[in-house]
Amino acid sequence: MKEKFARWDILFLQYLKRDWKKIIFWILGIGLFSGGFVPAFEEIAKGQGLIGMFETLQNPAMVSMVGPTPVETAADYTIGAMYAHEMLLFCGLFAMIMAVLHVIGHTRKEEDLGLTELVRSFQIGRQANSLAAMAEVVVINIILALFISALLIVFNVDTISFQGSFLFGASIGMAGVIGAVIGLVMAQIMPASSSATGSALGIVGLLYIARAGTDVSNVDFSMFNPLGWTYLTYPFTDNNWLPIIFALIFSVVMVILAFALEGGRDIGAGYLPEREGRENAKRSLLSVRGLFIKLNRGVTIGWLIGFGVMGAAYGSIYGDMQTFLESNEMMKQMFAQSGVSIEESFTGTIMMVMMVLVSILPIVVVNKLFAEESRQHLSQLYATKVTRGQFYWTTIGLAVIAGLIGTLLAAGGLGGTAISVMEDSAAMDISDFLAAGYNFLPSVLFFTALAALALGWAPKLGKVVYAYLGYSFILNYFDSILDLPEWFLKTAVQSWIPQMPTDSFDAPVFITITVISIVLMIVGYLGYNRRDMIEGA
Amino acid sequence: MTEIVKIKGLQKKFGKFQALSDVTFRVGAGEVVGFIGPNGAGKSTTIRALLGIIKRDAGKAEIFGKDVWKDSLEIHKRISYVPGDVALWGSLTGGEIIDLFMKLHGGGDKQKRDYLIKRFELDPKKKSKGYSKGNRQKVGLIAALSVDSDLYIFDEPTSGLDPLMEAVFQEEVEKIKEAGKSILLSSHILSEVERLADRVVIIRQGEIVESGTLDELRHLTRSAVTLATEKDVSKMETVEGVHDFMQKDNQATFSADNKYINDILMEATKLGVKKFEAVPPTLEDLFMRHYEG
Repeated sequence: MKEKFARWDILFLQYLKRDWKKIIFWILGIGLFSGGFVPAFEEIAKGQGLIGMFETLQNPAMVSMVGPTPVETAADYTIGAMYAHEMLLFCGLFAMIMAVLHVIGHTRKEEDLGLTELVRSFQIGRQANSLAAMAEVVVINIILALFISALLIVFNVDTISFQGSFLFGASIGMAGVIGAVIGLVMAQIMPASSSATGSALGIVGLLYIARAGTDVSNVDFSMFNPLGWTYLTYPFTDNNWLPIIFALIFSVVMVILAFALEGGRDIGAGYLPEREGRENAKRSLLSVRGLFIKLNRGVTIGWLIGFGVMGAAYGSIYGDMQTFLESNEMMKQMFAQSGVSIEESFTGTIMMVMMVLVSILPIVVVNKLFAEESRQHLSQLYATKVTRGQFYWTTIGLAVIAGLIGTLLAAGGLGGTAISVMEDSAAMDISDFLAAGYNFLPSVLFFTALAALALGWAPKLGKVVYAYLGYSFILNYFDSILDLPEWFLKTAVQSWIPQMPTDSFDAPVFITITVISIVLMIVGYLGYNRRDMIEGA
Repeated sequence: MTEIVKIKGLQKKFGKFQALSDVTFRVGAGEVVGFIGPNGAGKSTTIRALLGIIKRDAGKAEIFGKDVWKDSLEIHKRISYVPGDVALWGSLTGGEIIDLFMKLHGGGDKQKRDYLIKRFELDPKKKSKGYSKGNRQKVGLIAALSVDSDLYIFDEPTSGLDPLMEAVFQEEVEKIKEAGKSILLSSHILSEVERLADRVVIIRQGEIVESGTLDELRHLTRSAVTLATEKDVSKMETVEGVHDFMQKDNQATFSADNKYINDILMEATKLGVKKFEAVPPTLEDLFMRHYEG
């Protein structure tokens, strides 16, 4: 035992000291987001608000996004019930992703950087670092849970009960712990931190998509999903603590598994076998384009598969939509009046959501060039006859192509599956889906261009583009729930684009955003061509 | 002599920090110039400015008579560069990376590559993330030495190499030197510079403080002399050009200004020389003198 965990407490305290700013940001960020929207929900609940929201969220499309509620009649739908219904899954997901990144950052990443090696040369146990990182995340999530609970209680709303508040906080904290253990296990299996992060986030994504399917078809199956154990606690309504217990058992088992895996491997190694490489490069590698394709290949393929699966998962919901309409007279009338079918309306909304996710990939590709630069991978290449323009435009080109293929897979996956599950009742064909997807292409280009602009002028801001993407996502995501003012909504680029097939195509907007994006890319190039390359020293 | 590299009054600031305040030196055709200085003195910054990786604030910098920023690509066709810390893509093998570097440079020699891989004892089939510091350095060196260039820029090229490999590197550099190529060699390993360099440039705090051939530099400094005489050696203490005089019986050790060496010898013979040893200053002595004095 001593050999394994000696002095983990020193590392633990060291982590708290090193990370305190990040921890405060983390707890305040997720905490305020999770617990601070009560007044907004009180606003929505006024008048017929609760009943209207209840009906809206019965729509399978909405269930697939925000999750189910145990409430069966609109009359029982309280502010508390609505708050948990709309917020819990999303906030839990945030907490989970944050924990994944943090745990891998402190375990596998430090190992890759050679820091662990140095630490291990002192009187520190073999697995003390993993224990310390894990302990840190658990402590953070406990504080986060208490913070959220306290925040909810402070708002003093009748239906947001004491017990419910604690359960709500505990569910989000637990989501963080689940994320941490998934990260810790992947950190042992994968050969490097990047693949560990990628696969762990991929698992979280799959869990989210899987629960979208089971929530719509049969919510009991979501109980088998670790992500389900967060929102299925149903705070303020059923107040079910059982999923928390499942999650605790799951986490303990996963931690034991992770430590066993870590005990069985060498530092810096993983469980996936390393093959002997090539002595000579393939012809396809021998160019800037070939090199960049190779460097981005793993991540790109991972994301593309994700897009396809995501499209297919949402597509599978189309089969249930008519059944839902048959059972809900009010919604049926609503759709009959508006003149758009429920499928069309869903397509418009979900396509916007998917295209935000598709936009991540081009940003990743563009930011990769700066990552390569700051890791000094390019030092020796700068001294060859390769131009900066080649580096820049090859990257932009790959990013745009990745966006095009991503759109194809997401929209195609959605359409293909939707058409097959709707069988003869299909009112849309595949071209409608593809048109709805590529309609959002300007927004993908716009995010690519923002990343390119950052690359050229202020490469350290490359990550801020993700923040803006997240911001636009949240804005559009909550637009269907909250009624946001027009000007506020327009700060997200997607809001300018009409949602097909519900709305019709708007050529001037499409062209304008595309042109702005291309101009930004060119401006970015001007900066990239004249700035100092950043190289450690 | 044609000038391959010509730098005059080069300046560079990073924010408020003046990294280079006045860098002036040149590298002639077929010449090996040793570029020495402690960490943070501005060696790598100078080299990056030469490569057009960073943009200078003031001064002139030319390679092959062309501006290093405006005509960087023209210049890059004919130079090879090895950074002090070769960072590689972990997922590619050493062999793949060497091929890539050679291709991007253009005009590589496949046979030379295979020969160098053997000489440096590199396993080219291994993914580079498994390489040690020294092995990564070998990848950079092999790639740079396998292509034909007119100017080779090495920034602490042998850091992390074992002494055997260091020797291999020095032999290979001597070969390119014999072939009439120019080399700018920045290094901490002064014996390496002493062995290879025709001229030495010393940089301190972003400024060139000394440059010249090793002999010229030596001339400016003192040799360490050990002298034993029949008569009382203490008379030597007052002779011009003698410093740090220490006596034990009739044997003395002192440092002697090289320009007074003749006078010192004349005085010593009057005392009846039993033993006279003069050791010229090593580059290390020169170096230390600049940083301690």
